[in-house]
Amino acid sequence: MTPGGLLGIAGIGLTAGILGAFKAPRLWLAATLTGAAAAFAAAVWALATGPVWDWQPGFVIGGEALHLRLDGLSAFFLLLLSVLGGAGTLYAAEYWADRDHPVSAPSARAWWNGLLLSMGGVLLCANGLHFLIGWEIFTVCAYFLITTERQRPAARAAGWLYLAASHVAMVCLFAFFALLAARTGGWELGPMGDRPGLAPLFWLALVGFGLKAGLFPLHIWLPSAHANAPSHVSAILSGMAIKLGIYGLVRFTGWLPVPDSAGWVVALLGVVSAVLGVAFALGQHDLKRLLAYHSVENIGIILIGLGFAMIAAAQGQAAWGRLALAGALLHIWNHGLFKALLFLGAGSVVHATGTREMSRLGGLWRALPWTASLFALAATAIAGLPPLNGFVSEWLVYLGLFDAVSAHGTAAYAAIPAAVALGLTGALALACFVKVCGVVFLGLPRTPISRHVHECGWRMRLPMLGLGAACVAIGLAPVLFWPALVSAADAWQPGWVDDASSTPLATLGSFHLALAGLVILAAVLLWRRVKQNGIRRAGTWDCGYAAPAPRMQYTAGSFAGIITGWFDWILRPVRHAHLPKDNFPARADFAEHTPETVLERVIEPAGSLVQRLSLAVRRLQDGRVQAYILYLLLGLAALAILAVMGGPR
Amino acid sequence: MIAVLELFLRLAAWLLLAPLLPGIINRVKSWVAGRRGPPVLQLYYDLARLWRKGIVLSTAVSPAHIAGPALAWVALVGAALLLPVGQAGATLSFRGDALLFVYLLAFARFCLALAALDTGSAFAGMGVAREVSYAVLAEAAIITALLTLCVQSNSVSLVTMLAPSAGAGAALLAAGLFGVLLAENCRVPFDDPNTHLELTMIHEAMVLDHSGPPLAAILHGAALKLLLFAVLLTEAVLPLGKLSLLPALAALAGSVLLVAVIAGLVESLMARLAFRRVPLLLTTAFVLCVFALLVAWKGGMP
Repeated sequence: MTPGGLLGIAGIGLTAGILGAFKAPRLWLAATLTGAAAAFAAAVWALATGPVWDWQPGFVIGGEALHLRLDGLSAFFLLLLSVLGGAGTLYAAEYWADRDHPVSAPSARAWWNGLLLSMGGVLLCANGLHFLIGWEIFTVCAYFLITTERQRPAARAAGWLYLAASHVAMVCLFAFFALLAARTGGWELGPMGDRPGLAPLFWLALVGFGLKAGLFPLHIWLPSAHANAPSHVSAILSGMAIKLGIYGLVRFTGWLPVPDSAGWVVALLGVVSAVLGVAFALGQHDLKRLLAYHSVENIGIILIGLGFAMIAAAQGQAAWGRLALAGALLHIWNHGLFKALLFLGAGSVVHATGTREMSRLGGLWRALPWTASLFALAATAIAGLPPLNGFVSEWLVYLGLFDAVSAHGTAAYAAIPAAVALGLTGALALACFVKVCGVVFLGLPRTPISRHVHECGWRMRLPMLGLGAACVAIGLAPVLFWPALVSAADAWQPGWVDDASSTPLATLGSFHLALAGLVILAAVLLWRRVKQNGIRRAGTWDCGYAAPAPRMQYTAGSFAGIITGWFDWILRPVRHAHLPKDNFPARADFAEHTPETVLERVIEPAGSLVQRLSLAVRRLQDGRVQAYILYLLLGLAALAILAVMGGPR
Repeated sequence: MIAVLELFLRLAAWLLLAPLLPGIINRVKSWVAGRRGPPVLQLYYDLARLWRKGIVLSTAVSPAHIAGPALAWVALVGAALLLPVGQAGATLSFRGDALLFVYLLAFARFCLALAALDTGSAFAGMGVAREVSYAVLAEAAIITALLTLCVQSNSVSLVTMLAPSAGAGAALLAAGLFGVLLAENCRVPFDDPNTHLELTMIHEAMVLDHSGPPLAAILHGAALKLLLFAVLLTEAVLPLGKLSLLPALAALAGSVLLVAVIAGLVESLMARLAFRRVPLLLTTAFVLCVFALLVAWKGGMP
């Protein structure tokens, strides 16, 4: 079957799902899963066989002929979309079931399908106008999904912020596409590398797509939106929706000429996003908000790779540029997989305990063994540790940076700080996920809520298992996925990525495979030895303290305290402390909260300044005719003075 | 067949020699203090005894408590196989193995940290928080050191990176890496392996609740990590690539011994730093590595 047929099935399946969403949840499930599977098959077909699928049926929508195209790059993103869409669909069937959410579940299902359809449409559109239409539908669908629980004020506020930020991005994209159409004389999209006059448009695209991708400091909408959406929505938002911003950047930096400084700016934004994203994540106490900040971090890693690929393209340095590009592309997949898994795991925790507050959780591994192990797997992957997939893509980016350094060119001046920042980011992410796993899943329950919980059912577990398996597969056999990377990279810069650069990847894969086998073997052997020697059970020794209580365990805040202290200058944590004083201290307490600095210290003050200025200006209009006549006279006088002083020569 | 034999020989060398270093450091310390001190082979006896002992398992712990030390130990052994030994090369060498080396150490840290948090002990939490926080700065320093070697040798593979000397910046790089060695292996002035006060510990606080074979795995892994860092430091600084096989091995062994003696002297002559000063010292190590990088960059320019 051709990709056209498969994509047709996908479209029909998702549309049928919308119809079935309200009355027939089973039909919705079957139709949506079929659609996702068909899209998956089409993407695999396109990545494996190579030729670009191009379809111009002759329909006219909005005055422009419909034109769909599936090349390596769109197929690369479509594959991720179909995997995450399928996983999220199955997960939602249990997580957001009619039984628990009779009002919101049907509409959430319909919007979900709308979101998948419109995101797929954006990936396929080869016409600027249709791209914009698809983009707007996708934005609106995501808004209704974020506000699924709109009875909660926090969800409404998050949705509103998201909508406002998205439409700022939309304005930039309108301008971008309109100027592009005006200068090229049509809305058709395609490679236009031979028109250097288009280069300044890149800055519009950077703001428009960057806002969607959530790069620092344009990430303001991201934490609250991800935290307040249902978890399967957070998973697709973080795994796929923000990647569409990256798709836009990759697509148009590949097709259009870019200014000379573009690569440097993208790399700089990447470094800033990576380091500050993880720093903000460390300050969070809300499980899903924390994961959302890690999206900022990972978008940063992707942008470091993309930025250096752009620098390399500008300087004609394919040798290291292709490694950076391959790393960035693979990290798009990897982040989609492990971040979706983390959000689904967080959803399972929320489903079981009803709270996202980490300091109220603890010891959940007993009740949620599947969730805990899969979450730990994803945490290992996102911290960029071998032998999982996160390391493979970060390693490729590192290789690109190190090769840029040893090439001794101008790019090395940027590559050296970027490599150090990437190392910092990795170590900070490790600290952050040790904190999350330790506080949420290990130790003892901190409050009674986490004592009576139960593991999620198979429909929530299966998608998580699938995503975990994908993370392991990319980690252990990265070379299998190399052709897909080549296919996507070819769409960006034809002929850049060759098979030779995959050689160290194959060695790395076999090392990972051996490592994975050996760690399992070692754990089994050690466990057998321990059992053979005999085990006595007792309370945690804790240096002989007689009455340890679960509340005495280290908390998330105190764990991250050292590092958040280093980042005080940007995190600006708000602390409320009543410390114990005197010989007979009264009740003491301490609370710490890390606000969204950019939003609360920059955007909101700027907004209120505009509001105050507008109010001041409004005083001019006080309803008295005398005043208006005065304004008229003043205006006339000004004109007269202007005419006399600076009259035409 | 020969390859397998060689692999086992190398493994045996790494695993058997590792526990010697802490013994040497302790011997130096006792010598400076005028004590008789424990035998050099004390850690071997300890490991053998721990391996035979039963364990006391906290009721709070998950399987990660046992799996963590096993995973960490394997990761450290894997890192040892990537590190070249003088002229004999490494068991496995490929482009980019230097980064794999760094991340294997990070993986070991991750596993031990989770195994420690598993007990729910506040002391363990404190130790882990310090360990992972200070590791951030150490990681920046070690990546900078790798960049220095990369600039010098135009390579990202440990075998070629470590063959020449670090050139004019060798002293700077040695000082920086020595700081990282002390921090990552929890030696004075960053951490005191012999302190009796849990509140001021880093690494020891993490393993307070471990016993028996898992503790043996942790202790052996820690000794191996110390040896790894000592070998890395030596090879980064000395031009072992210019010597032939046996002299290179002898020079390597001698310098690793020297590193251990210096670590012992530092431990005898200095007090542990206050915790708020630890980041400063680590930043100093990082800055030393940056200067080594600048020197290498200037020297590498045509």
